[in-house]
Amino acid sequence: MSTKGRCAVKIRVERDVLAEAVAWAARSLPHRPPMPALAGLLLVGEPGRVEISAFDFEVSGRVEVAADVVDPGRVLVSGRLLADITRSLPAKPVDLGVEGTKVTLSCGSARFVLATLPLDEYPTLPVMPTSSGSVAGEVFAAAVGQVVVAAGRDDTLPVMTAVRLEFTEDLLTMAATDRYRLAVRELSWNPEQAGLEAAALVPARTLAEVAKSLATTEKVTVALSLGTAGDGIIGFEGAGRRTTTRLLDGEFPKYRSLLPTEASSVARVDTQVLVEAVRRVALVAERNTPARLTFTDGEVRIEARSGDDAAGTESVPGSLEGDDIEIAFNPGYLVDGLTALASPVSRLAFTASGKPALISAAGADDHGSTIGDGQYQYLLMPVRVSV
Amino acid sequence: MSVWDDLVGQDEVVAVLREAARAAHAGATAGMTNAWLITGPPGSGRSTAAVAFAAALLCEDLVDPGCGRCEACRSVRAGSSPDVTVVSPAGAYYRVEPMRELVARAAWAPSGGRWQVIVCEDTDRMRGPDLRWAAANVLLKAVEEPTARTVWVLCAPSTSSEDVLPTIRSRCRHVGLRTPSTSAVAELLVRRDGVDPSMATFAARASQGHIGRARRLATDEQARIRRRDVLALPTSIAGVGEAILAAESLVSAAKVEATELSEVRDAAETLALRQAFGMEERRRAPTGAAGALRDLEAEQKRRGTRVQRDALDLALLDLLGFYRDVLVVALGADVELVNAELADAVRRLARTSTPESVLGRVDAVGACRAAIASNVAPLLAVEAMVLALRTG
Ligand SMILES: [Zn+2]
Repeated sequence: MSTKGRCAVKIRVERDVLAEAVAWAARSLPHRPPMPALAGLLLVGEPGRVEISAFDFEVSGRVEVAADVVDPGRVLVSGRLLADITRSLPAKPVDLGVEGTKVTLSCGSARFVLATLPLDEYPTLPVMPTSSGSVAGEVFAAAVGQVVVAAGRDDTLPVMTAVRLEFTEDLLTMAATDRYRLAVRELSWNPEQAGLEAAALVPARTLAEVAKSLATTEKVTVALSLGTAGDGIIGFEGAGRRTTTRLLDGEFPKYRSLLPTEASSVARVDTQVLVEAVRRVALVAERNTPARLTFTDGEVRIEARSGDDAAGTESVPGSLEGDDIEIAFNPGYLVDGLTALASPVSRLAFTASGKPALISAAGADDHGSTIGDGQYQYLLMPVRVSV
Repeated sequence: MSVWDDLVGQDEVVAVLREAARAAHAGATAGMTNAWLITGPPGSGRSTAAVAFAAALLCEDLVDPGCGRCEACRSVRAGSSPDVTVVSPAGAYYRVEPMRELVARAAWAPSGGRWQVIVCEDTDRMRGPDLRWAAANVLLKAVEEPTARTVWVLCAPSTSSEDVLPTIRSRCRHVGLRTPSTSAVAELLVRRDGVDPSMATFAARASQGHIGRARRLATDEQARIRRRDVLALPTSIAGVGEAILAAESLVSAAKVEATELSEVRDAAETLALRQAFGMEERRRAPTGAAGALRDLEAEQKRRGTRVQRDALDLALLDLLGFYRDVLVVALGADVELVNAELADAVRRLARTSTPESVLGRVDAVGACRAAIASNVAPLLAVEAMVLALRTG
C-alpha cells in the first residue's frame, strides 16, 4: 500500500529464485538501448508473486516467480546492475523495498541501494496473445533446433532469417531456408483453438534462444495473435517464463512444391559414420571445396579435390536402390543436415546429380518423402563441379 | 491538442496527411502509399510533420486520427513506440551499415498490428563525401519492395536530385512544406513558448521561417548578440587583415553556438544513460555500461561536428538575408525587410553598391555554404567568402 502518495513496495524472495529470474529476464535487455528506460528491468509485485520484465522493442521477456509480497507495486531499476548484484548475493532470503526513488536490496549482511528509473518513460509491454496451443518443451526445442540450421543469416533477405510456423488443428509445421537448403519438421501438438489455420514468420535467432531456454519445461504454450489488429507478435510461455517477439512480414517461399515426391536413387548410410567421413575429407581440403559423393551399392565414396588432385578420399559402407549417382555438396551444409536429423541411419534420395537431394531419417516405417508427424526433411542443393 | 497543432502554416500538407491517415484507418491498406517524401526548407517542420503522420497512422481515434490524447499518439511523440523509428545521420552523412540494419528492421510486422513507420530525416545526407548515394542505394531496395505494413517517411530540403536519390524520389508520394509565414511562426512562439509578441515577431522575421532558429533567437540573448555580430560584417570589412579576423570570429561564434546547443543535450543523454545503467561514483560499472556509454560518446561526437556545421550554415543564411535586404532596397522593391532593425546599414550599403556587386556577394555566400556542405574545412571556406564580401 502506498503511504503519503509514495510508491512503497516490499518484497521477500529466495536468493536463487531471484538471481535466476533476473538473469533470465536480463537476456532480453538491449545492448544499446534505443531509449534509456529500456536498460531497466520492470519489477511488478503482486500478492504472492513478482514479475520481472525486459523489452528491446523487438523481444520482450517476462518471468514470474513466487514471492512474499507485503506491499504490492511496480518499480523500474537498472537491469544490468540488478543482474550483477543478484549474482553476487549470499544464499539468504532477499528483501526488496522501494521508498520514493530508492530501491533497497538486503540479503544477509549485504545491503545495496539502487536508484529507481522513471516509470512513465517505460513503453507499454506487448500483451501476450491468447494461447493457440501447446507442446512439450523437449519436443519443441528439438524441432526448432532441427530447422534453424537452415535459416539464413543475411539481413538483406529478412524473410529468410525467419522460421515459418504453420498451425493447424493437427500439426505444427516449422520450415526454414536460406535458398541453398530447406529444413521442414512436422510435429503433433495440442491446439486450443478449433479450426485453427494460421502461419507466422518468427525470427530464427530469437526462436532458437526461446526454445532452448524452455527445453526442460513440461509444456510450452504458443500464442499467436490472430485477426487484423495486433497480429504482429507471437508469444511462447513455459514454467512462468514468457517471451514475445515481433514477427516478420513478407512472403516465405512456397516450399512444399520444392520437396521432390519421387526418387531415382535412394541411399541409406550410417549417419555418424558419414558425418565423420565428410568432416575429415573436408578438413584436409581447402575451404569451400565441395565434397563429391559417389553412391554405388555397398559403398559411398567421399572426395574433395583441389584442382586435379584429390585432397582427401574416404569410403564408407552404404546401401543403394536405383541408379548409381555422383553428386557434390557444400560439406558444411551436408553435415548440418545429417546432424540435425538425429537418426542413426540417414536416407538420401536423389533424382539427378544437378537436382536437390532429400535427406530424412531411415527407419522401419520409412515410406519415402511424405512428411508426417515427427518427420524431418532436409533438402540440399548440390554444388556444380567441373569434372 | 491534436498532433497537427505544432505544424504551423502548413494547412495543405496537413490536409493530405490527415486524409491519408483517415483512409488507412478505414482499412484501405491496399491504397496506402508505403513511401512518402516530405520536403521543405530547414526549420519548416519536416520531422514534426513526419512524426505527426506516424502518430496519426497508429492513433486509436477512428474518426479523426492524430488525436494527440490516446496511448498511441502519446508514445509516438515520446519516442517510446516500438512501431515508430526516427533516424538521422549520426554525423555529416548517413553510413551504410546502420542503413542496412534499418532496412532489415523494415521487414518486421507492426507490433500493434497497424503500421510500422520509419522516418529518415535529411535524406540529402545520404550522399557521401564522394558524392555517391551509397546509403540511399541500400534504402532504395526497401522502398522499391516495401513490406506491406511498413511506411517510410523521408524528409529532404527539396525534391531535387541533390537532395534525394531520383530513383527513390520516383517511388515516393510527395508533399511539400512551405516556408511558414512570419505571423504563423510568431503566433507559435507566443502560444507554445510564451514569448512576448514583439520579440516573437522579430525572431520569426529574422529566422526567415526557421522555427527552431526563431525559438532560439527569441529565448536566448547570446544567440541574438552573435547574430548581430555576424550582420555587422557586410558593412565593416574593408581590408584583407580584417577579413581574415572576421572569418575566424564567424567560425568560432558558430562553434560556441553549437557547443551551447550540444552541451545541454549531450549532458542530459549521458546522465540518463548512466542512470539507466545504474552507474554511480565509487561503484564498479555494471556489465555492458562502459560499452554503451562509449557508443553514446562516439555518436555525440559525430553529431557535434554536424551541429557545428549547421550553426555556421544558419549564420550564412543570416548573411544571405542581409544581402537580400540590400538588393530589395537597391531595386526599390516594396517588400518587408528581414532585418528591419538594421534598415540604416542596409540602405547605406545599397547606396554604395550596384545590384551586380550585391549578387556577386550572394554568390560568394552560396559558394561557401556549398563548400561546407561538401566537407571543405569551414575556416578555409569562410575566409574565401569574407574576402569576396569586402566593401573596399
Ligand atoms: Zn491518438
